[in-house]
Amino acid sequence: MRQFLTASLVLLLAGCYPQGPDYAEDTDVVYTTYDERYDFKSRETYSMPDKIVTDIKIDDGDTTYEFMADKFAAPIFDKIEENMTALGYDRVDLDASPDLYLTPAAIKSTNYFYSYWYDWWYPYWDWGWYYPPYYSVSSYTTGSLIMTLSDPSQAEDSPINRSQTVWVSAANGLASYSYDISRVTKSIDQSFRQSPYLTTK
Amino acid sequence: MKRLILTLTIAVAVATFCKAQNSYVDVAYSIGFGTGDMGDFIKKASFRGISFDYRYAIQPNIALGFNLGWNTFYEEKGTATYTIDNSSLTGKQYRYSNNAPILATGTYLFSPEEFLCPYAAIGIGTMYSRRNTDMNLYTVEEEGWPFVIQPEVGLRIQAADAVGVLVNVKYLNGFKAGDFDSTQSYFTLNVGLTFH
Repeated sequence: MRQFLTASLVLLLAGCYPQGPDYAEDTDVVYTTYDERYDFKSRETYSMPDKIVTDIKIDDGDTTYEFMADKFAAPIFDKIEENMTALGYDRVDLDASPDLYLTPAAIKSTNYFYSYWYDWWYPYWDWGWYYPPYYSVSSYTTGSLIMTLSDPSQAEDSPINRSQTVWVSAANGLASYSYDISRVTKSIDQSFRQSPYLTTK
Repeated sequence: MKRLILTLTIAVAVATFCKAQNSYVDVAYSIGFGTGDMGDFIKKASFRGISFDYRYAIQPNIALGFNLGWNTFYEEKGTATYTIDNSSLTGKQYRYSNNAPILATGTYLFSPEEFLCPYAAIGIGTMYSRRNTDMNLYTVEEEGWPFVIQPEVGLRIQAADAVGVLVNVKYLNGFKAGDFDSTQSYFTLNVGLTFH
């Protein structure tokens, strides 16, 4: 009897435990970091591709890229350009030797987890009900938009001919079944809002 | 609320098992208010709490016993940006603080035989304190077992022969320990029943 009461008490207390996020967008986060020694003020131009890589496939040594559909990529590029223009940068073609490269990439990742409900209801002689153990597999999918700014002129100073990233933004959130591009464009605005040091003015 | 009443009813039922002569069993609903570092972490009052006391009278007005409790603080922070050095992170935070004190207590009853019995007590012991900061799909967890000193003042109202109503205020002062580099403290207002 006492065990039953104790178990009931634990379950009841667990029942009034506060909840966390209610909606997928409640999990949205935007992370940015930058190279503090880099002088953004003296830069004027940048270049950016017109496609967003979402996946890479390697078949027999051949690498092929998968791109985001234009109807989703277009508002993302528009939003990035709008913010870069507001900071004082001009978008130029790749062959016009821009000061900075801006590369966006989108990543979708699915995580699987296993849960195992073990048989903690040990059968007692006076109140024997037994919960059989069962296993379940669940998954969740998160989407990320990553933007990087790099300075191509820095490659000359690098022994491996690569330029360092001077700014990185990573926006991540739990994917919902209704594809909502406004969550992505909002995260782009936020990335630039929390990076006031990018301004050329 | 229904759940809470049920919880308390069951707790009372459990408590009556421990009943003995010259002893008091207090079961109370506990409302918590974080102070200092805990108050900075979660500003909202906690309405999820329970307090259990057992006091054994070694003299008519002096009792020794123990106190067990549980207070859960929770606050949903709006979207905000947190910056450390050259990195910034924006998002919604869900903050939790769970505290379960385990204390030895000494109680002085000013008028043990009267209808109204004010009392003062001091508790010394430890508590399990765990803090979670949830953001995105991750949680940052900090925990510790601080040393605790808890002064308490209260009033017992002897409503019937063996049952009374209890109101008290406790200040739980937990010293820095574990992952916490400052004191973890909170006030609680407790309202419940006392059996003896």
